[in-house]
Amino acid sequence: MSIEVSTPPRADGASAPAGVRHRPRRVVARAGLLGEMFREAADGLRRNGLMTAAAISTIVVALAVAGGGLLASANLMHLAAILEGQVEIVAILRDGLSAAEQERVATAVRRLSSVRGATVVSKSAALHRLQRSFGTPSSIGDLLSNNPLPDSVEVRVVDARQIRVVAGMVGRVSGVEEVVFGTPVVDRLVALTRAVRSAGAVLAALLGLASLLIIVNTIRLAVAARRQEIEIMALVGATPAFIRGPFMLEGALQGALAAALTTILLVGGYMALAAGLSASLPFLPLLAPAAILPVAVAIVWMLGTAVGIGGSVVGLRRYLRV
Amino acid sequence: MIQFDDVRMRYSTGVAALQDVTLRIESGEFVFLVGPTGSGKSTFLKLIQRIERPSSGRVIVDGVDVGALPAEEVPSLRRRLGVVFQEFKLLPDRSVADNVAFALRVTGTDPVEFAPRVHWALEVVGLAGRAAELPARLSGGEQQRVGVARAIINRPSLLLADEPTGNLDPEAAWEIMHLLSAVNLRGTTVVVTTHNPTLVDILRRRVVALHEGRVVRDEHRGLYTAAR
Repeated sequence: MSIEVSTPPRADGASAPAGVRHRPRRVVARAGLLGEMFREAADGLRRNGLMTAAAISTIVVALAVAGGGLLASANLMHLAAILEGQVEIVAILRDGLSAAEQERVATAVRRLSSVRGATVVSKSAALHRLQRSFGTPSSIGDLLSNNPLPDSVEVRVVDARQIRVVAGMVGRVSGVEEVVFGTPVVDRLVALTRAVRSAGAVLAALLGLASLLIIVNTIRLAVAARRQEIEIMALVGATPAFIRGPFMLEGALQGALAAALTTILLVGGYMALAAGLSASLPFLPLLAPAAILPVAVAIVWMLGTAVGIGGSVVGLRRYLRV
Repeated sequence: MIQFDDVRMRYSTGVAALQDVTLRIESGEFVFLVGPTGSGKSTFLKLIQRIERPSSGRVIVDGVDVGALPAEEVPSLRRRLGVVFQEFKLLPDRSVADNVAFALRVTGTDPVEFAPRVHWALEVVGLAGRAAELPARLSGGEQQRVGVARAIINRPSLLLADEPTGNLDPEAAWEIMHLLSAVNLRGTTVVVTTHNPTLVDILRRRVVALHEGRVVRDEHRGLYTAAR
């Protein structure tokens, strides 16, 4: 075999004279280098199509779990807030107060801290409510010659856990004869809502953490599958930034694609669930899709892209030590 | 070109890979590094590329103390070197031309220069007609020629080849060695580690023999084993 090593050509196609060292390589401008990184990233995704598809599917599952966990957690907390919002103190008023005096008591109660609202319920209104709850509007009125129910003020509190303190303050308001609230029921309710809140937070945190680990690991595996490419890059003189760039872009693109698919799943699933529940179980109020979905989708996108990039950086660290 | 001053290299595992190595390789030389497995040949090449740093002593390449080189300047050192690997290290999903262009692409070379330079490098190794093929369609010898094309495309002043013929049949091994000699004739310094006595004995170039991390022989026109 006859081998002759000629002088490398110049870019304009003309041969450099023999023995003359080639002029220094022109280094492309930063914009060109960025373009090359984008090209490498797109190429990387295309060349490793199967691995990319596997990674994106895994990330979709992880993000859907995290997003679903977030939605479940937010709804549990919403439910706890609704239950607590229904806790009430009933301040029974002294007999014989005029309507104006009753309203004055209600105003005084409203001024107390930790009180969300107070409404006067006159004895006639209370009877009317009682009649309605028995179903036949005239039955009780027919049985009783006069109305035995007292005038009262119904007090809603800001925080159910403060109910004892608020009840004490309401009891000291002039015109209030007695304060009634279902102590054991409220205690149990507060314990329940506290547990629901904690469970919701733990659920969201655990699922978020699990998703984070799954995504980081998925991207790490995708990077590991290309360690030879990375090693060659480093050995021929690619800078760590140039090596990292395309992989970080790929991680971000994979995360973003997965986030887009997850968005479709989450939005579609939640809307369907909300519609289904409002028809079949109207007493179980879900958070309105418009209230919670933008937050959930934003978190899914942030988790997808940020962890996609982070996973690439973590995955590359080992191979960049060459 | 290359100077090792009292270089010791001990890995974190405790293995002493090189001990008290002092050696000078002039620009334009062709040097065979020989010695049994574990004698320190690969470590010698790794120190030149700054894949490893010496535990003590200095490794000077082109006037630069590579052990003391800041990390951000390592890529620029490596761009001046060409490296040929025993296991070729070609990317299986890229064409021959893309594999050769890889060394240009990842070092920020103007894309206008890709085509003519890749063509030139493939002409040098005799594979211009196979540019579009995938490495798997080439023989072992041809794959290693692609490896050589990739190593010379940045016009290095120094070419390092770590057992470049280790995976090749004798004929292919001879072709690669012939190619490296041709590259050397153009003025590129070439350092080759090998276990192939025939090639060393026929070419009669400078031979540096290592044993247990020490230089035990350095002959100008040497043989694989010491002449008796």
